[in-house]
Amino acid sequence: MITDCCCLKMDLTFLQTLERERVLEVLRRDQQLRTIEEDRIRRMKHDLQELRRRGAKSFSRQYGERTCARCQRPLGKLWNSGAVCRGCSHRICSRCRVGTEDWKCTVCHAYRDVKFRSGEWFLEERAKKFPCTTDKYEMVGDKLLTTYNVFSYISVVPPTPPPYLLSDYAFLSRHGDLKNSKPFTKSMEDLMDSFTSHIKKISTSQNDVRGDLLSVDNDRRGSKLSTQKSLSETDIGKSSRLFKGPSLPNLFKKSKDSDQEGSSTGAEEETSCGSEYSGGKRGSSCSILSIDCGLLESVSMDGELELALSYSSDSSCLEITVGSCKNLSHGDAKKKKCHPYVKLCMLPGKSGKMKTTVKKNTTNPVYNEVFKFPIERHLLLGKRLQASVWHSGTLRRKLFLGEALFPLDGWRFEDKTSQSFNWYPLCHKASEGGAVERHGGEVLLRVKFSSSEQGEVMQLSSFKSLQEKDTRRQII
Amino acid sequence: MASATATYGQKESSDQNFDYMFKILIIGNSSVGKTSFLFRYADDSFTPAFVSTVGIDFKVKTIYRNDKRIKLQIWDTAGQERYRTITTAYYRGAMGFILMYDITNEESFNAVQDWSTQIKTYSWDNAQVLLVGNKCDMEDERVVAGERGRQLSEHLGFQFFEASAKDNINVKQTFERLVDIICEKMSESLDAGDPAVTGAKQGPQLTEQPAPPHQDCAC
Repeated sequence: MITDCCCLKMDLTFLQTLERERVLEVLRRDQQLRTIEEDRIRRMKHDLQELRRRGAKSFSRQYGERTCARCQRPLGKLWNSGAVCRGCSHRICSRCRVGTEDWKCTVCHAYRDVKFRSGEWFLEERAKKFPCTTDKYEMVGDKLLTTYNVFSYISVVPPTPPPYLLSDYAFLSRHGDLKNSKPFTKSMEDLMDSFTSHIKKISTSQNDVRGDLLSVDNDRRGSKLSTQKSLSETDIGKSSRLFKGPSLPNLFKKSKDSDQEGSSTGAEEETSCGSEYSGGKRGSSCSILSIDCGLLESVSMDGELELALSYSSDSSCLEITVGSCKNLSHGDAKKKKCHPYVKLCMLPGKSGKMKTTVKKNTTNPVYNEVFKFPIERHLLLGKRLQASVWHSGTLRRKLFLGEALFPLDGWRFEDKTSQSFNWYPLCHKASEGGAVERHGGEVLLRVKFSSSEQGEVMQLSSFKSLQEKDTRRQII
Repeated sequence: MASATATYGQKESSDQNFDYMFKILIIGNSSVGKTSFLFRYADDSFTPAFVSTVGIDFKVKTIYRNDKRIKLQIWDTAGQERYRTITTAYYRGAMGFILMYDITNEESFNAVQDWSTQIKTYSWDNAQVLLVGNKCDMEDERVVAGERGRQLSEHLGFQFFEASAKDNINVKQTFERLVDIICEKMSESLDAGDPAVTGAKQGPQLTEQPAPPHQDCAC
């Protein structure tokens, strides 16, 4: 491990600057692509979970009841008696089937579709060849990530779901009032935390590889002997990180335990599936777990958010134009009222908070307000722009309507097409879970670098005071 | 150099409107025309000048195939030995490979076996590989007969194309064929039968036979 760290340091000095820049540029582009892809997959899995939840047999009813497992319509004894789906072994009415000869129920079909569309099938196939090996080298990957700040930021991409989601998405439907049981919820919160941290590790494994490969490349230049060694080490390290298996099945066992603590009845179906998987092939169990975790974690919403970012390296001011939002959910659902405004801030650090004006009584507000962040380009590394939409309620009560995150260090500011408005979907908040309401809608933004030299000094000072007072609004 | 990569569209990469995403890797000796092949396919452009790829690069292209929108992330690798450790790290993420040699370069053809071994070592078991003999427009300088390429591809169990990035021969066909066989593998992977697809109840229910079809007709 020590040698690996040395490699890392040498890496920066040994690789030619141009080469390194070039490779890093490609990696950033790839990372950006994956961020978008992860978001797509998350939404996909969320939709699937919704479908499942709608159709799931609840434990409050007798399982053997003659109803269709998907639409809950009663099944007859002689006619319309339904048939058993080969996928899930539930009895399904004729309406909830997809395909003719070799039919599947709607949920099984959707599940299969998601596996295709998310690339899960490939991960499972691959896991057959590269199963979990050892956790030993995980440390190296973590170290590499933190040392190399370009990569370290990548590891925080998937948002941690707020605890309420857990009961909501995963167990509410099947366990009925279980979520009211406090110890159960508590233990599941803990479980969820560990779940998500594991998933993060899995999803960042490819980034770990990058850290490794760069150092390996450099190592090769140094001496051929150590190349062989570190190469094989990274290989082991890679696979261990890719399929961080051993602890994952345990999680499901944990979940089984907590299920049984929470309720003596009814937890059988869910948990049997968990233990079934963990008993199976390790590789595939990992990926199935990951899909399940994805389901729990899936918090993003429908709708899109259009955004454009551009970068001009001969100025140092990031310009963001908030255009408009559409299809926002009502901040005050009872009165059908919504007074939305958009808040911008830089992550991590939450520096430079800026807000638009509040638009009254609209779910499709138009702002067209321009904001400027004076910031050096190299400082954008590891930074994200957070654009959140809030409802400004009575008595200064604020309500979160959704947010969008934009990774800035991978952003291709030079691109002409990216300087114009683009729509982007709003998502649930990454960290705060409390008063989050369901929402849909979009925010229209434009970010670009302005080259006005004159205003720089002034902007810089106001920016500083912004950081001090944190909540001040800056509208230009 | 950096500007060359900057020309590819942000729109294309951030577009989420597609069904599948496939990752494809192009490998082969240095200067066989991997980058040209990719540029021809993704941008429909060709530059005769040789610029060695630094480490790794990729382009994104969305195609419509078999009623599905498929987003391809095509990785272009450096053929040079000194980047080998970088490039092999990407084998694992690739679903399909384009293994390229230059029909005017005997050495690049001889190296095909080695490249195929690399794929076997670093990639998944069902990795789909297409062998491509590039520069088939340069018939005068040909040293590798088409038949030899065909035989080798059969020996290795790959599909085979002769192509030209310069004259745009078989470039699109190569990628489309690869996409097709990845699609096939994809269907096979799940049709190979895992009954527990939804992770729902197993056990006693399994023994219950699916109702005969005529029951459905009654409703």
